Amino acid sequence: MFRCVLTAAGLVLFACSTAAYAQKQTIGAPPEASNMKLVGTNDLQARSAYQPTIHHQGDRWIAYIGHHGGTDDVPAPVNPMTGQAEPNGTSIVDVTDPARPKYLRHLPGQEGKYESGGAQMVRVCDGRALPKGDPSAVYMLRTFGSEAHEIWNVTDPASPVLITRIAGLKDTHKSWWECDTGIAFLVSGAPDWRTRRMTQVYDLSDPAHPQKIRDFGLPGQEPGSTGAVPTELHGPISTGPTGNRVYFGYGTNKGGILQIVDREKLLSGPKEPTPDNLRFPEIARMPMSAFNGAHTTFPMLDMPVAEFAEDKDGKTRDIVMIVDEAILNECGEARQMVWFADVTTETRPMMISSYTVPEGSGQFCQRGGRFGSHSSNESMAPVYYKKMAFIAFFNAGVRALDIRDPYHPKEVGYFIPAITVATDKRCIPVEGGERCKVAIQTNNVETDDRGYIYIVDRANTGLHILELTGPARAAAGLPKN
Amino acid sequence: MIIAAAVIALGAVAGMHADGTERGGRWREMAWPFPRDGWPAGRAFRCVAGGCDGAELYIRAKRGFCNCDTGVADDDEVDRVTDIDLISPRFAPVAPGHAVDFAAMQGRIRHYDLDMPDGTRHAAAGLALSRRCDLLVAVAQGAGEANAVQRAALVFLETEEMKQWMAATLDGR
Repeated sequence: MFRCVLTAAGLVLFACSTAAYAQKQTIGAPPEASNMKLVGTNDLQARSAYQPTIHHQGDRWIAYIGHHGGTDDVPAPVNPMTGQAEPNGTSIVDVTDPARPKYLRHLPGQEGKYESGGAQMVRVCDGRALPKGDPSAVYMLRTFGSEAHEIWNVTDPASPVLITRIAGLKDTHKSWWECDTGIAFLVSGAPDWRTRRMTQVYDLSDPAHPQKIRDFGLPGQEPGSTGAVPTELHGPISTGPTGNRVYFGYGTNKGGILQIVDREKLLSGPKEPTPDNLRFPEIARMPMSAFNGAHTTFPMLDMPVAEFAEDKDGKTRDIVMIVDEAILNECGEARQMVWFADVTTETRPMMISSYTVPEGSGQFCQRGGRFGSHSSNESMAPVYYKKMAFIAFFNAGVRALDIRDPYHPKEVGYFIPAITVATDKRCIPVEGGERCKVAIQTNNVETDDRGYIYIVDRANTGLHILELTGPARAAAGLPKN
Repeated sequence: MIIAAAVIALGAVAGMHADGTERGGRWREMAWPFPRDGWPAGRAFRCVAGGCDGAELYIRAKRGFCNCDTGVADDDEVDRVTDIDLISPRFAPVAPGHAVDFAAMQGRIRHYDLDMPDGTRHAAAGLALSRRCDLLVAVAQGAGEANAVQRAALVFLETEEMKQWMAATLDGR
């Protein structure tokens, strides 16, 4: 009996100490992981990171990583390669050997702090894929803070050369560039539109000579309109001329909208931004709860669903994975998470499932910083496409989801990097001041064709390159490592 | 001091005197009249005496806003973030707005004509203020003249009780 009491007391003590440990990350503590393993890291010069894009470039693999602006404490970190203070821009890292990433170049961005500066977004296309590109060149499309889009020749990734700038904007964000056609859906803020973010469609098949096709947005956002202004755009993803669809996500953490658009009608339809012309290419629109936004709208069309294999109809489904973005620190808003919509009957899209990290699994609301989803990998390489999705979940790190049955997505792995001395604090207002905590803020994730997973940190902790292990690796169909 | 200056400035903008205490009206709190949306409900008031009779004032915090450094940058931002569209989707600004300093925050205020669901026309003043990455938005609307409604609402908002509430709600308390 006495032994039972002692055992029970020990269990309570263990549970309490585990909870206390889980609530706070400490420097020197190991990363938290399940079925994911760290392969290599780079500190990215302690710059707040947004979007990584991994490009197979000749016989090398290059990571292009967009950065937010600087922080109040360090508006322009010193680049140790030049010795100069440089506003955050784009980090270019050779990840051919993922265990030993080699930092090649920092390309400064717009001066400014947090969302107001930097060069947050980046896409890369080979010249040989673009209809009018230099076949020997590689091109990087990036945002330049809020004011411009730029195209750089990154054939030598250590020595980029600016080719084109599309400027005069009031905001920019996560654009999409079709490498096989050159058509780009640029998230811009045209000065005369009533919203900070809308779409400017460009033909960038010749990167040196951008050709504007049209402006696009939701009716009510266009110049001259009155009344309520619909939620602003976050980003589109196109399936190109073959799929003939563009999936637009509006809203970040509020009032999200998934808009399904006929790409051909968008490109060739009447271009004057009237309400009728803006409605013309729209196939369907799915409003979400006011609690959630549509940060990323990732299409996975014609997915075979094992559960439906014996059904006479509907064996395959067109799925769009929608990821919200958490905005507020320490759970100061409704939970932002991941949603799966069945858009097989395009005019009647329906939400079918959702996923969130269980808060209690790590007391994430007490850890500091944001807890909730932000983004998914956007690579459509066969290694993971329609099988596995990776979700950046801020202080809960990256989460690996088995999505082969999108009606029942299942977490099969996770990785929460350790914090370092570079990890920046996150604060909330309290009476008479503010209270700050330090925690990982995994902002974005991308994968490469080899199966490596790249996560980057908004709180300046850098780049972590991961691989799947154990059952997660088996679920993805990868050979044992 | 800043608030007083703001009221004087706003009175001047509106072509009115800044003797607002007499014209502040008497406001009675009522239930938040709008359906649940993405932001937590705020507070709503109806003017029951003092020259703004029948006007209504709605105020709430909207925490989490990407323009942390630029704040409420232009009139389009005011159109988007104030709750004017909750009162009526058919609203039209009557003139460019004005930059304001109010309760140690910067922002803009703009006047609107509202086509109400019952067919009447109301005047409204929309106020959007930013504090770092958060917003405080207020709309005053009524059948009366927009400047008078605005002035009465601003005088009420500068009372100690409302200032304390604004600070607390922006802190998430």
